Amino acid sequence: MKYLSALFILLLLITSLSCGDRKRSVYRKTMPLMDTIVSISVVSGSKDEAERGMDKAFAAIDRFGTLINFFSEKSELSEINRNAGTRETRVSPETIDVIEMAVITAEKSGGAFDPSIGPVVKLWDFLKRKKPGGEEIRRVLPLIDFRNIVIDRQNSTVFLKNKGMLLDLGGIAKGYAADLAADTLIKSGIRDGLVSIAGDIRTFGVKPDNSPWTIGIKNPRQTGEKDEIIARIRLSGKAISTAGDYERFFIDDNRRYHHLLDPETGYPAGLCRSVSVIAGKAALTDAVSTAVFILGPEKGLKLAQDMGMDAIIIDSSGTIHSTPGIKDILSIEKGN
Amino acid sequence: MKKAIKNTTLADRALFLILLIISAAGFFYSGEALSLGSEVVVEVKGRPVYTLSLDVDMELEVEGSHGHGVVEIKKHKVRMKDAQCDNHICVRQGWISRGAIVCLPNDIVVIVEPGRKTDIDAITG
Amino acid sequence: MQLQDKYRIAVLSAYALALHGFEALLPSPIPWFRLGLANIITITSLTLFGFRTAMMITLVRVVLGSIFIGTFLGPSFMLSLGGGIAGTCAMGAVHSVSKTLFGPIGLSLIGALFHNTAQLFLAYLLFIRRIEAVLVISPVIMLIGIISGFANGVVADVLIKNILKNDPDSIQNVARA
Repeated sequence: MKYLSALFILLLLITSLSCGDRKRSVYRKTMPLMDTIVSISVVSGSKDEAERGMDKAFAAIDRFGTLINFFSEKSELSEINRNAGTRETRVSPETIDVIEMAVITAEKSGGAFDPSIGPVVKLWDFLKRKKPGGEEIRRVLPLIDFRNIVIDRQNSTVFLKNKGMLLDLGGIAKGYAADLAADTLIKSGIRDGLVSIAGDIRTFGVKPDNSPWTIGIKNPRQTGEKDEIIARIRLSGKAISTAGDYERFFIDDNRRYHHLLDPETGYPAGLCRSVSVIAGKAALTDAVSTAVFILGPEKGLKLAQDMGMDAIIIDSSGTIHSTPGIKDILSIEKGN
Repeated sequence: MKKAIKNTTLADRALFLILLIISAAGFFYSGEALSLGSEVVVEVKGRPVYTLSLDVDMELEVEGSHGHGVVEIKKHKVRMKDAQCDNHICVRQGWISRGAIVCLPNDIVVIVEPGRKTDIDAITG
Repeated sequence: MQLQDKYRIAVLSAYALALHGFEALLPSPIPWFRLGLANIITITSLTLFGFRTAMMITLVRVVLGSIFIGTFLGPSFMLSLGGGIAGTCAMGAVHSVSKTLFGPIGLSLIGALFHNTAQLFLAYLLFIRRIEAVLVISPVIMLIGIISGFANGVVADVLIKNILKNDPDSIQNVARA
């Protein structure tokens, strides 16, 4: 009896000690990349494994970021833009991939999302409150047409048919980078994690307690300077992106001028305050959230549903619309 | 009471001491754990530009109104590593884990705030 | 089980229940704060009458106590039961290894420690599910456990001495060292 009891105590001590080490926990790292803040969370039983995976993922984002940097002369994207109307540009598979996804989204949204919007974007400067004249905008509008983007998968080239055309991948690149980072993490053996690049979030797997990842959707009209959450949504293996009129904007003469420009008019779209889209890939949610924002609540919800995605729309009056599929994973905060 | 304490065995006293030490160490450790989740907010011209975790070591260049400042986070502390200003008061303030660093010429404010108690893993928008 | 045993268990359980109920009436500054007064009876019975009696009393106390207070089979009953069994088992195990190594105060500290550990573990499994929260409160709970465990041990020590002095005949089936 004595020995049995002693053994029992010993066993208890050993199990209590060994349990602590194998506990899987969340490791988190944040880096400034792609001109924004990139945050990665991974679930792992070992800090080393987590760090290795995250470093690889950050490297992948960084590499991709330099390929499609609109402002860097050396990027592949700038080369495509410089060669517009003259010749094809040979680019990396990722660049082809992201442009192809952008064009597909443009087709499906009937041009509400259009990666060739560059010439109009260039006229606006939301930081310096620069509003272009109507004549200026009318002049560049004919340049905006995704159908004039020619992708040659076999030769790995991209060609813009008309001189003056400018590709702007700002509406899809961050989402694509989040997917790239998630795929890199999964390849390095990490099964659960979350990649957040600005507002574009890609989740995979679950948290250590087997619950899904909880994502807060920002209140588009928060009064304070701290992030206010208007709704939270639980995701596992899915991505979410939000397009909002509060990210880059200025107010002039009681009108809000923001960065989500309608390719049709060249002016900011005014039907929504914020649109969040949920789907499997962050590249898609990134692009489609912009498209839905431009289309407005009615046509936008239909587009999301036609594409098999879920959406939460806060329209210009503050009313929240959502697709029926997400009632179970969405909770709207009270008091907002 | 006195008698009861006098009657304690050596093992009783040793156990009492060991438990006290463990729980004191636990307080120290949990203090560390509680400080996890503290946030560093970098404001430029009164607008929060970055919200960073105090647990993640990093260096960040912040564009101020006249020049840039370099904010460094290391071992749960933050400092202004360098700044383009003439008095360098902010740099001389050194490492902080609470309170704020103000760089007046550049209109950069670095504030350490207790982390918001939230179950949210990421924010979209 | 002799009639004597049953009688003794009944009386000691009644004491334990009274303390248990009294404690439930006290306003608690922290939701988790419990003095564990009933442990005094557990220690006394363990030292004087052995593990079986102590465990019996613990079970009777937890089950009846929860029925009286109205928490039977509820979450706080689960915590109470798990904590009570773990604490009594730990004290019983230590006591059976050596009768002289630890006195009542040492036993009480061990009981409190295992009682709290088991409760924290159950609380984690049943409701909290956040290991950080458990880690943060454990030193507080541990410290409270040390203080109240020490106090209970002192009382138990006095109680045991008194019973042995005034009523040695009632302790029949105890192998005196």
